[in-house]
Amino acid sequence: MAEDSQRNFRSVYYEKVGFRGVEEKKSLEILLKDDPLDIEKLCTFSQRFPLPSMYRGFVWKVLLGILPPHHESHTQVMMYRKEQYTDVLHALKVIRFVSDSTPQVDIYLRMYQLESGKLPRSPSFPLEPEDEVFLAIAKAMEEMVEDNVDCYWLVRCFVNQLNNKFRDSLPQLPKVFEQYLNLEDSRLLNHMKMCSAVTKLPYDLWFQKCFAGCLPESSLQRVWDKVISGSCKILVFVAVEILLTFKIKVMALNNSEKITKFLENIPQDSSDAIVSKAIDLWHKHCGTPVHSM
Amino acid sequence: MAQQANISELLSMLDSSALGVLDDITTVFKENLNSDRGPMLVNTLVDYYLETNSQQVLRILTTLQEPHDKTDTDVVILTTGVLVLITMLPMIPQSGKQYLHDFFDVFGRLSSWCLKNPGHVTEIYLVHLHASVYALFHRLYGMYPCNFVSFLRSHYSMKENLETFEEVVKPMMEHVRIHPELVTGSKDHELDPRRWKRLETHDVVIECAKISLDPTEASYEDGYSVSQQISTRFHHRPTDAIASPYVDTQNSYGNATSTPYSTPRLALLNTPGQLPQVLSFSSTRLSTEPTQATIWSPSAVCGMTTPPTSPGNVPPELSHPYSKVFGTPAGGKGTPLGTPATSPPPPCHSDDYVHISPPQAIVMPPKKEDRLDSVRPCLHRQHHLPNDRGLEETSDNKSSVTLSDLPEFLGDLASEEDSVEKDKEEAAISKELSEITTADTEPVVPRGGFDSPFYRDSLPCSQRKSHSTSSNTQGPSVSTELLTSSLDKLGPDTPKQAFTPIDRPCGCDNESPAGNRESQTSLETNILTPSPCKIPSQKVGFGSGQPPPYDHLFEMALPKTAYHFVSKKTEELLKKVKGNTEEDYMPSTSPVEVLDRLIQQGADAHTKELNKLSLPSKSVDWTHFGGSPPSDEIHTLRNQLLLLHNQLLYERFKRQQHALRNRRLLRKVIKATALEEHNAAMKDQLKLQEKDIQMWKVSMQKEQARYNQLQEERDTVVTQLHSQIKQLQHDREEFYNQSQELQTKLEDCRNMIAELRLELKKANNKVCHRELLLSQVSQKLSNSESVQQQMEFLNRQLLVLGEVNELYLEQLQNKHADTTQEVEMMKTSYRKELEKNRSHLLQQNQRLDTSQKRIVELESHLAKKDHLLLEQKKYLEDVKLQARGQLQAVESRYEAQKRITQAFELEILDLYGRLEKDGLLKKLEEKTEAAEAAEERFDCCNEGCPDSLVGHNEEAAGHNGETKTPKSGSSRGSSGSRGGGGSSSSSSELSTPEKPPNQRVGPFSSRWETTVEPSTSIPVTVGSLPSSKSFLAIKARELFRNKSESQCDEDGLTNNSLSETLKTELYKDPNLEVKAPLGLDNPHPSPKNQESVGQLRIMDYNETQHEPS
Repeated sequence: MAEDSQRNFRSVYYEKVGFRGVEEKKSLEILLKDDPLDIEKLCTFSQRFPLPSMYRGFVWKVLLGILPPHHESHTQVMMYRKEQYTDVLHALKVIRFVSDSTPQVDIYLRMYQLESGKLPRSPSFPLEPEDEVFLAIAKAMEEMVEDNVDCYWLVRCFVNQLNNKFRDSLPQLPKVFEQYLNLEDSRLLNHMKMCSAVTKLPYDLWFQKCFAGCLPESSLQRVWDKVISGSCKILVFVAVEILLTFKIKVMALNNSEKITKFLENIPQDSSDAIVSKAIDLWHKHCGTPVHSM
Repeated sequence: MAQQANISELLSMLDSSALGVLDDITTVFKENLNSDRGPMLVNTLVDYYLETNSQQVLRILTTLQEPHDKTDTDVVILTTGVLVLITMLPMIPQSGKQYLHDFFDVFGRLSSWCLKNPGHVTEIYLVHLHASVYALFHRLYGMYPCNFVSFLRSHYSMKENLETFEEVVKPMMEHVRIHPELVTGSKDHELDPRRWKRLETHDVVIECAKISLDPTEASYEDGYSVSQQISTRFHHRPTDAIASPYVDTQNSYGNATSTPYSTPRLALLNTPGQLPQVLSFSSTRLSTEPTQATIWSPSAVCGMTTPPTSPGNVPPELSHPYSKVFGTPAGGKGTPLGTPATSPPPPCHSDDYVHISPPQAIVMPPKKEDRLDSVRPCLHRQHHLPNDRGLEETSDNKSSVTLSDLPEFLGDLASEEDSVEKDKEEAAISKELSEITTADTEPVVPRGGFDSPFYRDSLPCSQRKSHSTSSNTQGPSVSTELLTSSLDKLGPDTPKQAFTPIDRPCGCDNESPAGNRESQTSLETNILTPSPCKIPSQKVGFGSGQPPPYDHLFEMALPKTAYHFVSKKTEELLKKVKGNTEEDYMPSTSPVEVLDRLIQQGADAHTKELNKLSLPSKSVDWTHFGGSPPSDEIHTLRNQLLLLHNQLLYERFKRQQHALRNRRLLRKVIKATALEEHNAAMKDQLKLQEKDIQMWKVSMQKEQARYNQLQEERDTVVTQLHSQIKQLQHDREEFYNQSQELQTKLEDCRNMIAELRLELKKANNKVCHRELLLSQVSQKLSNSESVQQQMEFLNRQLLVLGEVNELYLEQLQNKHADTTQEVEMMKTSYRKELEKNRSHLLQQNQRLDTSQKRIVELESHLAKKDHLLLEQKKYLEDVKLQARGQLQAVESRYEAQKRITQAFELEILDLYGRLEKDGLLKKLEEKTEAAEAAEERFDCCNEGCPDSLVGHNEEAAGHNGETKTPKSGSSRGSSGSRGGGGSSSSSSELSTPEKPPNQRVGPFSSRWETTVEPSTSIPVTVGSLPSSKSFLAIKARELFRNKSESQCDEDGLTNNSLSETLKTELYKDPNLEVKAPLGLDNPHPSPKNQESVGQLRIMDYNETQHEPS
C-alpha cells in the first residue's frame, strides 16, 4: 500500500509519451528491497524492461550469482570476492604472468585462465579462440564497470554463463537467425543465400562475443541485460535487426566477404535504435515474459 | 404344192429317231432357209411346230438369223400381223416395251394407210385393216396410255398427219374413256415391270376392255359401269325379246331342239377320226384351226353367252368346265319364268346341244345339202343371240357372234367359200323370221319399232342382206357406202344418211324368201307349240341318261350365290332392255361393226355369187368390190376369208381371256359360297353353342340358386357367429371391466397394505417408544420402588426414630435438666466446624479459578510458541540460504586458492626442474643447499614469516608427496569440501592428511588469522571453544524445566521470561548451527560465547519483534 501510494500518478502517461524506465525504476527499487532477493522476479524484470543504469551493476551481480540474494551477506561475500581477486592477482604476479604494465583486460584473462585451470605454461603462448572471446567481452565490460574486482567477476561469470548455461543453445542460433530472417525478410535472406553469405556471416562476433566490439557499450549493455537474465535469443534478433536496418546496403553488396566485412564494422550511430527494435522484435516473436510483481 | 409336199415329208422325217437323218434334214432346212429368203419355208416350219410341238423345228426356227419377212402392202398379212401383235401385246407387256415406238409407228402408218390406201387394196380389206387398227388403238391405249397419247400428240401434231387424225384416229378416240393412268401414271410408270407383274394376260385384256366405250369391246366388270346410254344403245335387237314370254318361247324352242342333237354331239366327240376328212379341204396353214373349230364349234356357238375353256385343254376335260360354266346363265333363264326349281339346268343343257349341232349340220352333211337344214341351227343360234345377249351381254352380241362363228365359217369356207354369207343370210332371215314370229306371238314388240333409230344398227344387216339378195350389185356398194360413211362420219350427225337407204324394214320382210320364212315359222310354231311340253322334253333329257353329271353338284355347290347372281343380272338386263326404247341412236359405228356388217353383207354376196358363179357371163360390176376383175374374185374372197379367220382368231383369243377371267371369278364365287357354307356351319355350331350356353345358364342359375342358398346359410351362420362374437366381446369387455375393477381394488388393497404397513411401522415405532418409555418407567418404577422401599425403610426408621425420639423425649423429659448445657456446647462446636468448612470451600474455589486461568495462559503461550517455532524454522531456512551463498563465495575463493596453489606448485616444479638441469654437474651438497635456499626464498616471498620454516619444509615435503599422489590429495580435498568443512583448519587438515591435525592447525591458522581476524571473531571462537551441548538438547531441557516449573507454583511473570529466553535461544541457533557441524567430531561442544550470543540476541530480538507485528 505504501508502495502504491508512492507511485507516480503520471506513470500512466509516461509510456504513452515514450519515456521508459520511469516506472520501471520504481518497481525495480521495490524488488531490490526484498531481503532475500527474488532472482526470478529480477530475471523477468530484466527481460521485460531496460535496467536503470544505476542499478545495472548490482542486478547483474545478483543475476550472475556474484552476490547472494541476502543483503546481509553481501558485504561479506563481496569481501570474499575481492580477496579472491587479490589472491589470484597476487599469484599471477608471483609467477610473473602479469606485471603492472599488463593491460587490465589481459590480467582478467590470465586470472580467468588461472581460475579455470587453463593457464598456459607461458604467457607467450598464442591465445585460444575462447580467449579472444573473453578478451572482447572483458574489453566491453571494462568500459561499462569501473571497479576492477566487479569487472573481473562480471566478465568471469558472464563467460561462465555463456559456456555453461548457453552451451547448447548458442550453436543453434545461426539456424534460428535464418529462420527469423526468413520470416521478416525472405528476399534479403535469398539475396544472402545467393551470395552464399549466410554461412559466412560474423556469427562468432554476434553469438560468441555477444556483439562485444560490434555495438557501442551503451547499447550493448541493454542487450546484455537480456543475455544475463537468461535469454540468448535476443542475440538473434539483434542480428536480424542489424541486417534489416542495413538491408539496402547489404542488398547492394554481392560479395559474401564484403557483406561480412560490412557487418563486422557496422556504423555505431544507429545502434541504439537497432537494439530497441531488436528488443521489440524479440518481444514480438517470443512474447513478453510474464512479469509477476 | 409339190414343194410343200416335199417339205411336209421332210418335216415328218425331222421327227425321226435316226440321228443321221435328223442331222441331214436339219442341214437341208438350214441351207434352204439361207438360200431362200421367202417366207414360205418359215411359215411352213412354224405351222408344223404349232402342229406337232417339234423340238427340232423349234431349234431350226430359233437359229434363224435374218428376218424372213418382207414388206409388202398385202392387207391380209398386215391385218394378220396387227392382230397377232394385238394378241401378243398383253402376253408380253414387259418385253414388248422396247418396241413400243415401233408399235406406235405401226399404228401411225396403218392409220394413214387406212385413209390413203397406198397399196390400192380393195375396200373390203381396208375394212378389215381398219378394224384391226382400231383394235390396236384400243390395245395400245389400254396398255400404254401415256406413251401412246404422247406419241399421238407428237405424231399428229404434224400437218401431214392431221388429216389422218381427223379422219381415222379421232373417231377411234370417241370410243375410249379417259384412261386413269393418264392422270395417275407416267411414261416411265407404264413401263415399270412391277405394273405388269401382278397382271396376267387376261387381266391386261380386261384392263384394255375397261377403258373402251365401244360396247363390243368394253367390259362392264368391276365397277366400270358403262353408261346406260352406251350399254343400251345396242339393245335394239333384243327389243324383240323384251318380254318374258318371248324368252319363254326361246327357251322352249331351245329345249325342243336340244333333244334331237344330244346324241350327235356325243358322236362328234367320240369320233375325232372324222376330223381329218373335214379338214382336208382347208389349207395347210389353217389346218390347226379346224381341229379346234370342230372340237369347239359348240362352245364357239355358246361363246355368245359365256367364253369356253382355253383351247389347250384336252377333250375329256371339256365337259366339266363347259357344263360348269353354263350352269349359271342357264339357271338365270329360268327365273323369269317363275319355275326356278325345274327350269334352270335343262335349258342350259339343251342350249349346249343346240349350239353343238349346227356345225354338224353343216359339216357332216354334204355341202350341197338343202340349205334349210343347215339354216335351222343357225336360226336357233340367231334367235338365241338376241335372247341371251338381250338378257345378259347385249353389247357383246354382234362381235361375239361373228367371231365365235368364225371357225364354223372357216370350216364352211373350206368346204364352200360363201358358206359364211349364206350363214349370215340365213341368220338374217331366221332373225327376221323370229322377229316375225315374236311379232306374231308378241304384239307388244311391233314392227313399228323399226322406225325408231335403234333399229338402224341392228336391222341394216337383214335389210342389207335382203337388199343384197334382191340385188347383188347393190349390196357391196351399200356396204362400201356404209363403210365410208361410218369412217367419214362417225359423229352423231350423219348416221341416218348412211342408213336411210337400208332403213326399210317392210321391204326387207317382203324380199326375204318366203319358203324359208315359212319353214322358220313352222319350226317356230313347232317349237313354240310344245312350249307347254317344255317340261316333258326336259324329262326326256333326264330320262335319256344324259343329265349333266355336275349340275346337281353345281347347284349344291352354289346354291344361293348362283341364283342371286343370275337373278340380279337378269333383272338388270331387263331393266336395260326396257330402257332401250328411250335410247338415242349411236352417233357413230365402230370399225368392228362395220366389219360385221361387211361380213354379213359378204355372206349375202357370196350366196348370190355362188348362184351366179355358174353364170359368170352375167354382167356384174365386180369393180364395185375393189376394182378387180372377176378372175381375181376368188382370190379376193379367199383373202377376205383369211382376214375373217384372223379376226376370228383374235376374237377367240379375247374370248379365251374372258374365259380365264370367268373361271377365276367363278372360283371366287365358289370360295365365297364355301365360306358361306362355312358360315352356315359356324352358325349351326353357334346355335349349338348357344344351346349349350343356355344349358349352362340354366345350370348356372341352379348353381346360383344353390350358391345363394348356401350364402344365405353362410350368412345366417355368419350372423350367428357375429352375434356370438359380439356376445363374447361383450362378455370379454365385462370381464375386462371386472378385471379392471379388481385391479383397481387390488391397487387399493395394495395401497391399503402399504398404508397399513406404514401404520404398522409407526405402531412398531410407537411400541418401541412405548417399550422404551416402559423400560424407563419401569426403571423409574423400580427406582420409585426402591425409593419407596427406602421411604418405607426410612419411615420405619422414622417410626423407630420417632419411637426412639419419644423414648428419648421421655428420657429427656426425664432427664431435661442435664442436657441443655451440653447441647449448647455442641451447637457452638458444630457452628464453628461449619464456618471452618465454608472457608475451606472458598479457598478451594479460588484455587480452581487460578488454576484455570493458568491453563488458558499456558495454552496461549503454547500457541505463541508454535508460531514462533515456525518463524524460527523459516528464519533458519533463510539463514541457511544466506550461509550457502556465503559458503559458495568462500568455496569459490577456496577454489581460487587451490588454483593459485597449483599454479604456484607448477611454478615451483618448473623452477626445480630448471634447477636440476642447471645443477647436474654440481655436487649433491650444493644441490641440497640450493634447494633449501630456494625453499627459504619461496617462504619469504610467500608469507615473510621465518617462524614456520620447519613447517614449511615439511609442507614442501608434503607437497612433494602430494605431487607424487595428486589424485588422492585432490580427491580428499573434494571429499573434505563435500563434508561441509569450510574452515581453514579442516582444509589444511585435509590437504595434509599425513600429518597430525594439532601440528597442522598451528601454522595455518596463524597464517590465516592475519587476514580473517579483523572481520569476525567467529572462526576463533569456533576453533577454540567446542560446544558442550547441542542446541536442541538445551532447548528441550529448558522447555522441560519450564514446564515442570510451571507445574510447580509459578506465576505468569516467570512464564513470560521463560518464553523470552526460549526466543533468544532460538535466535541464537543459526550461529550455533554453524558451529554444530564444526563440532561434529567432538560430541561435547564448548559452551557458546556469551558476548557474541548477546549481541546476536539483541539484534535478532529486535528483528523478531518487528516481524510478528
